[in-house]
Amino acid sequence: MSTIQTTPRPLVILAAFFLAVGLWQIGEGSWIYAKARLAQVLLRRAWFRTLAGETQVRPWPWADTWPVSRLRVPSQHIDLIVLNGAYGRTLAFGPAFVESSALPGAGGTTILTGHRDTHFAFIRQLKESDEIVIDRPDGRSTGYRVHETRIVDARTDSIFLSDETKQLILLTCYPFDAVFSGSPLRYLVRAIQPPSAPPRSIDRPAGTDWSAQGESAQPR
Amino acid sequence: MTRRNETAQWDTAHRTRHVFLLTMLMLVLSWTGPQHVILACGEPPSTESGMTLNEVTQGSLLFKTHEVGRYKPAPLLKTDVRISVTGIIARTTLTQEFVNPSRLKDDWAEGIYVFPLPETAAVDHLRMKVGDRTIVGEIRERGEAKRRYEQAKQQGSRASLVEQERPNIFTVSVANIAPQDRIIVEIEYQETVRYDHGAFSLRFPMVVGPRYIPGTPVIIEEETQGSGRSSNTDRVPDASRITPPVQHPHRGPINPISLTIDLAAGFPLGKIESPYHDILIIADQDGSRHITLRQDVVPANRDFQLTWHTAGGPSPTTIVYQEPHKESTYGMLMVAPPASAETVTAPPREAIFVIDTSGSMAGTSIEQAKAALVLALGRLDAQDRFNVIQFNSATHLLFSEPQTVRTDTLGKAVRYVERLHADGGTEILPALMMALKGSLPATHLRQVIFLTDGQVGNEDELFDVIRAQLGTSRLFTIGIGSAPNSHFMRKAAEFGRGTFTHIGSTSEVKAQMDAIFRKLERPVLTDIQVRGFEATVEMFPPRIPDLYDGEPVVLAFKTSHVPSTVTLTGTFNARAWTQTVDAAGSQSRNGLSVYWAREKIASLMDQPRLERGEASIRELVLDVALAHHLVSPYSSLVAIDTEPIRPTNTLLTTHAIKTNLPEGQNYQAVLGLPRTATTGPSHLLIGLVTVVLAFLLWRSRHRIA
Repeated sequence: MSTIQTTPRPLVILAAFFLAVGLWQIGEGSWIYAKARLAQVLLRRAWFRTLAGETQVRPWPWADTWPVSRLRVPSQHIDLIVLNGAYGRTLAFGPAFVESSALPGAGGTTILTGHRDTHFAFIRQLKESDEIVIDRPDGRSTGYRVHETRIVDARTDSIFLSDETKQLILLTCYPFDAVFSGSPLRYLVRAIQPPSAPPRSIDRPAGTDWSAQGESAQPR
Repeated sequence: MTRRNETAQWDTAHRTRHVFLLTMLMLVLSWTGPQHVILACGEPPSTESGMTLNEVTQGSLLFKTHEVGRYKPAPLLKTDVRISVTGIIARTTLTQEFVNPSRLKDDWAEGIYVFPLPETAAVDHLRMKVGDRTIVGEIRERGEAKRRYEQAKQQGSRASLVEQERPNIFTVSVANIAPQDRIIVEIEYQETVRYDHGAFSLRFPMVVGPRYIPGTPVIIEEETQGSGRSSNTDRVPDASRITPPVQHPHRGPINPISLTIDLAAGFPLGKIESPYHDILIIADQDGSRHITLRQDVVPANRDFQLTWHTAGGPSPTTIVYQEPHKESTYGMLMVAPPASAETVTAPPREAIFVIDTSGSMAGTSIEQAKAALVLALGRLDAQDRFNVIQFNSATHLLFSEPQTVRTDTLGKAVRYVERLHADGGTEILPALMMALKGSLPATHLRQVIFLTDGQVGNEDELFDVIRAQLGTSRLFTIGIGSAPNSHFMRKAAEFGRGTFTHIGSTSEVKAQMDAIFRKLERPVLTDIQVRGFEATVEMFPPRIPDLYDGEPVVLAFKTSHVPSTVTLTGTFNARAWTQTVDAAGSQSRNGLSVYWAREKIASLMDQPRLERGEASIRELVLDVALAHHLVSPYSSLVAIDTEPIRPTNTLLTTHAIKTNLPEGQNYQAVLGLPRTATTGPSHLLIGLVTVVLAFLLWRSRHRIA
């Protein structure tokens, strides 16, 4: 047995290395959450300018996206600004609107997607007949009721987009508690606009076909 | 407890700790790449997803019907391609066989297939084969052809229709395919072979890559939407017609193609290459070659290319063909200026590199583009200036102003390029405007080098910008990937007074970049004039473009009398250049009137729409197209069977035939929604484990030692 006084140097270096890596990883992870929250504050300001009549308001000068609507779920105390363009860059800051689906609140099928562990973590709590409200840039709102929730496999399943019903699809990765990303499964919430309260509606064209993962109408 | 026991126990503990630490270490190391690990996200799919997929037999494709959960199998498509090359003219017969696989008695099908052809193709024949009968297609004004097709479709007669969406995108519609029956459609087209730097080449595209559609969706009441994925938008009014649905690669390749080429080059053949497909070459006694794919069929998922050279001797540098047709003589003239042996010092250049980092570039394409760009940066001279612009949904400049070439600026650029990552939309317009903007000293040549797959639907809008804002810049396009939009590459370079090339695989990067640099660094043959023809001659292109090193003058002409000699003049390296061509002994060839008509249509379509008015261009194009039996944006081929076969009480289901994803593309990046899970939890977990590990290591540091 060696004496207690001498501390073996390689081990100390190794421990320090692990500590550094650990803290770096924790920092990296926390930054993702912090960014998700902070961005929503900046986005709110951009949203109010949008409501005031500006279009494509960039929340920060180098942003390549802008708020398109506000998503509210009163029962879950959720209030989020939805961004244009479902790309990885956009999703870090807020839920995103799949560009080629119908404009949020406009009628037809609107698809919103968000990170399952930040902005869209709440959608697992949604139950049938919960209310979802979409505020539009023109100041009007559209109410939807949750119709179904289900798990789909992005590799095999398709979402059928009805042109007649006005619906909202919220989509996120599944399972919610998985530590690592990259699952082929998706959690899907389908909410339908009650027929009683139709605001101005624009019909969507027939023939838009895409699946959960999916065959989104817009290639890049 | 005895002392011995104690020691043994301690040893065990010691060893356990060792094992524990080692395991942790390995875990941490293996976790540094969390994106490659699929742990909790890989559960088997839920069985309650509500889709009745199991009912469908393997090999069929699934398409949406209006009823959720009920599928009708789409027609299966098989294509056979026969290309016959004579000199520099190629004639291709494309045979598409549509089979309705349904076993249900009343399950009649209409198939709509959006397919690519070479961007210079002149489609002039359509034949529909049912059983042993052949119905020959007729050329009609587009709207009328469509009406006739729709009428036959409603009445229950077999019918087929070929329409042009872009010079390189066509749609074939086939109506009333009986269950378990087939309809064969034969489409014939003619094109000219490309000659560049002593090599002849031919490209046959097999798939329309997924196009990015900018703009906001608009719906016009009377307008019927196409069968594609996208809605029509304000910037791409026919988006729904050029975006066929895409087969998920998980479901395997579809649309098999077989291909044969009869190559009669007209000179002793040397090396024949097909860079993307394995081929078999059989030599005929007369010196021509019979070429087939090594595999019987390949999936329609990438361009086919064939390149041929002469056997050692000099390439034919002058070709004159003629064909008397009706009262006129149609002809073709190709003159390749002899390569200049003199070495010239290149003038200083300002090179603006524009690289596409959209989702369609993800996979092999971005690697090819990056390799090409790094190579290009290395070729810059100390006297040059440069900048790098990348675009996807947004445009980003490396330097706010073009920089002079120095070790530090170059180093920065190379690091920037190596870090590029492909994701997002393809908003070319702002990047293009950015690249064409800018003033520079008159001593510099301004060259914009555009690396992209061109997978967009708003080509005309981009061409307008190039035409209006080119100034003194020259635009060079490098088509990247397995199925680039060659129409965009060719026309953008044409309007940009530059030239284009393709890079289809990583192994080609070096050779193709060398070729393009040879063109960029050498003087250009400009102000080319043709003399010798009488005044009434109609020549296309009306203005001969500048020629880069190794490129020929190619002309289509219609005249009442072919002169004995034609003289070409121009300016090369600030000196006058003249070449006289003996046209008297020109060979007689078929198909030159078709070639001339196709060139005339191309030249009419190149005119700015606003200047002349869409209606007047349409009329001029229709005149040529109808007279020469050609498919154009305003004319289509339609073939209709006489008697109705579908009982009127049965339903006809329309199916959009799916296409493959071009090889090398990443489905997720092109058509998929982004990942909706952050790497936050994995970072946190790895972080915590590593910190705990550090703590354990610190505590046990003496014991381990």
